Amino acid sequence: MSIEINHLEHVYNAGTPFEHSALHGIDLSIPEGKVTAIIGQTGSGKSTLVQHLNGLLIPSAGTLDICGFHIQPLLKIKDVKALRKEVGLVFQFPEYQLFEETIEKDIAFGPKNFGVEEEKANELVKKILPMVGLDESYLQRSPFELSGGQKRRVAIAGILVLDPKVLVLDEPTAGLDPQGAKEMMSLFMDLNRIHNKTILLVSHDMEHVMRYCDHVIVLDHGKVLQESDVHTFFEHPEWMIKVGINPPAIIRLKLMLKEKGFLIPDEILDLDALVKCVREQVMLHE
Amino acid sequence: MNNIALGRYLPLDSKVHAMDPRAKIMILLFVMIAVFIPAGAIGYVVIGAFILACLFLSKLQIRFALRAMKPIIWMMIFLLVINVLVIKTGRPWIEWGWFSVYSDAVFQTLYIAVRLMFMIVLTTILTATTKPLDLTLGIEKLLKPFEKVGLPAHIIAMMISIALRFIPTLIEETQRIMNAQASRGVDFENGSLKEKVMSILSLIVPLFVSSFDRAEQLANAMEARGYDPNKQRTRYKVLKMHGIDRLGMFCSVCILGVCIGIWLL
Repeated sequence: MSIEINHLEHVYNAGTPFEHSALHGIDLSIPEGKVTAIIGQTGSGKSTLVQHLNGLLIPSAGTLDICGFHIQPLLKIKDVKALRKEVGLVFQFPEYQLFEETIEKDIAFGPKNFGVEEEKANELVKKILPMVGLDESYLQRSPFELSGGQKRRVAIAGILVLDPKVLVLDEPTAGLDPQGAKEMMSLFMDLNRIHNKTILLVSHDMEHVMRYCDHVIVLDHGKVLQESDVHTFFEHPEWMIKVGINPPAIIRLKLMLKEKGFLIPDEILDLDALVKCVREQVMLHE
Repeated sequence: MNNIALGRYLPLDSKVHAMDPRAKIMILLFVMIAVFIPAGAIGYVVIGAFILACLFLSKLQIRFALRAMKPIIWMMIFLLVINVLVIKTGRPWIEWGWFSVYSDAVFQTLYIAVRLMFMIVLTTILTATTKPLDLTLGIEKLLKPFEKVGLPAHIIAMMISIALRFIPTLIEETQRIMNAQASRGVDFENGSLKEKVMSILSLIVPLFVSSFDRAEQLANAMEARGYDPNKQRTRYKVLKMHGIDRLGMFCSVCILGVCIGIWLL
């Protein structure tokens, strides 16, 4: 079942001098089992939108249907814990949510909150750790002695261990080195392909969006500016530049080649195909 | 988290907002002393009228000031209970077996309640109408004369302004960590005592860790830009007293004088 969002609005601090409307009338349908990117500039409402998905925020107006839950304005969700088990939310810089003495305890914290027995939780931890690229020797170490990238892996494992159907990731690669970011992204891709999880990725990195995502949603000032599949999205780089999105390097290269007179079909989005296309044209020319 | 009225700046456009922070601090100081002088009902009426006038001039809603007093209600109830049980002077109002309420117990409680109320409204007006940075600038200027006797006025002001600067950041951080932990199934509202302790722990530990991180980063950033607390620094913002500031201070001194007068005579 996909995630349906209808006319979603959110107003912060309603009725005070600090009133601020963050989302106005969001209509979206997020496909199940796909990787969807949510992009937009700072303050476009990405984080606000994402926090509605697991009931951290309740809409001011509009409705939300997710994993069999129907979320309405001003109505407390009956079994919010069950919703949070289905929809795992990984915040930006999740390493700041670590607090336990050992990594094992910290990852097991989530399942225990959802009523899993300690032994069973520890088993789950052992299973999840290799998925984020850490081995069992880490179990008894303190999370605070790890490097930044490792801390983040532990924090993400703390959500993955809950086995959510929908995984929402807010800038999961921010502040990681390119290699670490690549590893992190391939972990999420595995989760999507092998474990069939629906993934929502809030990102600024267009390279990631192009390489890993199936579906793109552009938010701007609390409104949906565009919603399309990833190929259609990257076929119109001129539009992207106009709304202030920096296209991926390959798209910029394509634009430059076009300017020089090459004929490049819109659907070419990877380097190999581009090289082939250019080579053919050069040969033809000669 | 977002409903804390005490100590919050409200960006409105009023005469009180535009006043010199030094004048506002001095007025607060004078009236505060006046509140503690036992000048009886007349004294409190005078102070109360002045506070109401300030509240009106600052365009703050009475609702906002009342909300700031919420936290002391329980304290007052507790105080009333203790006073009723302990103070057995004055006229007896209720006598019911061993239980009795004497007039002094109620008056004593009211007395403290009114004083506390005045203090809270006064400080709320000050903090709601003065930007934290202006406030510290005012404090720094007022402490300046004491530098001669070894008081590090600038360092104190810098400490206060850094502390104030990080209150919103910490609130935001708290909210963020609460959200993150709630996503891991923490229930901050319900649960047994053990679960409650655990949920608070899951909030406090990350908060401490990130605060220490932040403190270190800030110290490094300040040193990297050549900050030296013992050097003389110039100010971008120069404070200037206007007519309303002098008038306000004059009024507060008068109130203090009246209260002292009633007390001594």
